[in-house]
Amino acid sequence: MFDRHGGEMPSDDLTTLARADAARLKHLAEEILPRLGDMQVLKSGTGLVMLPMRDTVQGVEFHLGEVLVAEAHVRLPSGTEGYGMVTGRDIERAMAMALLDAALSDGTAADRIRAFIEAEAQAQQAADTETLRRIEATRVDMETF
Amino acid sequence: MAYVATRGGERAIEQSERLYRAQMGQIDAARVAEIEKALPALVDRVMGEASLYAPDLAALALAQSGGDLYEALLLLRAWRTTQPRLQIAEVVAPDAGFTHRRISAAFKDIPGGQILGPTLDYAHRLLATEVLEDQPYAPPAVEPAAKPAPATHPSLAEWQRAQGLVTTPEAAPVPRDEIPDLTREPLLFPAKRAHTLQSLARADTGGTLALGYSAMRGYGNSHPTVNELRLSEVEVMVAHPDGRRFSAGRVKTSQAEVVTTKGKGELRLGFTATLGWNEVKCISAATLDLNAPGAEKNSPVEEEFFLYHTEPVESSGFCIHFKLPHYVTFQSSLDNLRAAKTAKAEQAQPTDKKEETA
Repeated sequence: MFDRHGGEMPSDDLTTLARADAARLKHLAEEILPRLGDMQVLKSGTGLVMLPMRDTVQGVEFHLGEVLVAEAHVRLPSGTEGYGMVTGRDIERAMAMALLDAALSDGTAADRIRAFIEAEAQAQQAADTETLRRIEATRVDMETF
Repeated sequence: MAYVATRGGERAIEQSERLYRAQMGQIDAARVAEIEKALPALVDRVMGEASLYAPDLAALALAQSGGDLYEALLLLRAWRTTQPRLQIAEVVAPDAGFTHRRISAAFKDIPGGQILGPTLDYAHRLLATEVLEDQPYAPPAVEPAAKPAPATHPSLAEWQRAQGLVTTPEAAPVPRDEIPDLTREPLLFPAKRAHTLQSLARADTGGTLALGYSAMRGYGNSHPTVNELRLSEVEVMVAHPDGRRFSAGRVKTSQAEVVTTKGKGELRLGFTATLGWNEVKCISAATLDLNAPGAEKNSPVEEEFFLYHTEPVESSGFCIHFKLPHYVTFQSSLDNLRAAKTAKAEQAQPTDKKEETA
């Protein structure tokens, strides 16, 4: 899907955190927050991400429109930084993602966060599979059409 | 005279806005949430035309404007300018979205098959009046298939290119921050293709339908067939400050390709995509794109004509501005008209006198 971008594989952890259930994500971040010390908030707010697409006729890249996102960028006393960006306007959710990213990079509650990411990834996979089973039900069988 | 009318109108203006808003009464979060949940097609249409993907804000704009679509768009386009642009996401490939619906009316056996997805295309159009008699309508549940559909489907145009049916040259990729952007530069003609496609993505659904329909009925130069219609959710791929790439979430997109056999021995295609799921707009706008090459100047399928006239905020704004006081300009025109009449009468008088003396 995303060619020509340095070849680095997307971070599944960050993608999973961005899509994680908002309530569970915030709950975990609150639980881990006291262990992170006095952190510095570098960025916290809403903004826009422009979304380009490639046209199928001439392969021209053009802008589809902008997506509203919430963003947070934090720095722990150790200097480790964390970042979160999620679609929508829930700044707390972006902040929770940034905290968990920072904690994971810093090795704080890493096992707990890893387990959370794994569970969320499974839930997201299951939700996608369920959606795709419903979509598959609308496949036209041309032989009997 | 005009100044007196403006000053005297202050109380009337205040009360007229109150009178309009009184129709909707109190707006709360629950109403906004209900609009977002109950009217996904309308929310999608508004997001596409506003060029801002934010379902809750689109629902709020609809609640606040009482469903006046152009007012809702204006609210969203204005609000958008208060927000900083944080990033430009990675370019979405047209065949990469998590596909909910993908059909072709031109080819029966397309790679990946025909997936109808969510649609009312084949529904009986019967109004469920029993709902008004306190018998709620609950839709029957979908019966999921045993195995899931593939998450993505190949692009039909790619398949046709491989078969030699389409030979349009592929544009060279450009750095992301150099993709032409209508929100930061004016639309000039002949338009860059990136401007045309961005403009159609933001275009008024009704406007593209009216002009696209005129082409479909024969006022254009090509009749469209839907090559591919696709509804997807695409990932918004952004960058972490340390360079890691991730998806900040998925957004709904629609895209349509229309095809004609009226080419020089090959298929010719037209394309449009937009934020949100909006099939009529994509098919109509893709028809305009298909018809644009070589179109006659000032015809509805000529690029300058359809891009200028389908911009929803400018067109609706220009239309409603005619309701605002034009007393001075109109009075001035009226004075000219009267002066011309008088001059004409005076011109006629000497002739009459001559006739009398003759």
